[in-house]
Amino acid sequence: MTVADLAGFEMKRATSLADLCSLLAERSARNEATVLLAGGTDWMVEQEMRKPADPSASTAVVVDVSRLGELRGIDLAGDRLRIGAATTYLEMRRHAELCARAPMLERMARDVGAEQIQARGTLGGNLATASPAADGVAALAAYDATIVVRSVRGERRIPFGELQTGYKKGTRAGDEVIVAIEIDLPPAGSPWIWRKIGTRRAQAISKVALAGVAAVAGGRCSRFGLGMASVAAVTATLPSVRKLVLGAPLAGLDHAAIDAAVAADITPLDDVRSTGPYRLHVAKAAVRGFVRQLG
Amino acid sequence: MNVTFQLNGSERSVDVAPLRRLLDVLRTDLALTGTKEGCGEGECGTCTVLLDGVPVNACMVAIGQVEGRRVTTVEGLGDARHLDPLQAAFVSDGGAQCGICTPGMLLSAEALLRRRPDPSDDEIREALAGNICRCTGYQRIVESVKVAAERRRTGGAGGAP
Repeated sequence: MTVADLAGFEMKRATSLADLCSLLAERSARNEATVLLAGGTDWMVEQEMRKPADPSASTAVVVDVSRLGELRGIDLAGDRLRIGAATTYLEMRRHAELCARAPMLERMARDVGAEQIQARGTLGGNLATASPAADGVAALAAYDATIVVRSVRGERRIPFGELQTGYKKGTRAGDEVIVAIEIDLPPAGSPWIWRKIGTRRAQAISKVALAGVAAVAGGRCSRFGLGMASVAAVTATLPSVRKLVLGAPLAGLDHAAIDAAVAADITPLDDVRSTGPYRLHVAKAAVRGFVRQLG
Repeated sequence: MNVTFQLNGSERSVDVAPLRRLLDVLRTDLALTGTKEGCGEGECGTCTVLLDGVPVNACMVAIGQVEGRRVTTVEGLGDARHLDPLQAAFVSDGGAQCGICTPGMLLSAEALLRRRPDPSDDEIREALAGNICRCTGYQRIVESVKVAAERRRTGGAGGAP
């Protein structure tokens, strides 16, 4: 038996976003925690690891948001892509328009675990869990995505750069629901990169993962975005590298300068998956590879 | 919480704690022990079942999330007297050894063949990437799926083991 088997563990099914926001407002005002459950790829495993004696869990309320219509679906209008927070990675991979216009997202979604994980995992879940190793969050960082959140106080749009404040900490309030992710796509055919370095292609959490998008005209980048997983306490956005590359003549970019900018932006740690020096070495090589690809 | 869902084509209702794992409800409450538990943390694919036709790890699905949905387990493919073509191919072509990973392999392969009746080797390997086998080295499993695909396309059935 695990914590989740206990009868005191209440589960509600969200039937509308408005009702969900009201519930969160009431519980948040009473300082009561509420778990929003989407694919369960992190949370269900965590419960399995905990013992039923944990008193904090015995009165928990879990709300199933996995089929809440207002959190689901993929819409493309012009260059603006909107992905519902509870849309799964498998649904993203199998969406023809998304694959055509956001190939980096499609390629990333292929690398999120295997199909069993892709069928359950969601961008909203990864954003809420806020692991710095999350593949999907690195991709959103590269796109400079906007996170749409909702509460009884209204809707709010959080630019990716203002989302994270520390390890598994962010600026989303306790009563706010992640509703969708909005991405302004680069022109069709623009260069991109998704490189995930792990112990094997499927089912491995990354040692380092790099997401990148760019728009190139006249030998310079008019847009250049990067996101990197597993190299810092939060998903890294590599601001020094962005500043170095954006608008500069690509032909004149010095590889040593790129390496120095990567080193200025991240200080990766040793952990069970890799070492800090290896991660830094691979991070530099991956970023150089993308810049080379731009011409 | 009362949860009603389609299980292998029949409607079933269970009254269980809503966060109980689908895996435990299948094996303990419904006595369908064909679905095996491996790692219990979504890494090995041993407990793979189909949820609305898509492979998922039953160790990561809360039973409360299954309301109104379709679940297919290995018991829904065939039985000991009349094997499904996939099961028959795993027997005839050496796709199974110790058998623990086999139910999960079969369901991942079933989902693939419904979507892609004539899959390439790469497509088979990708579809089975979330199912770990410690016996076979995978080659015989890939070959078994190809044999089953061929038999399905040409109308060949399963048969007795």
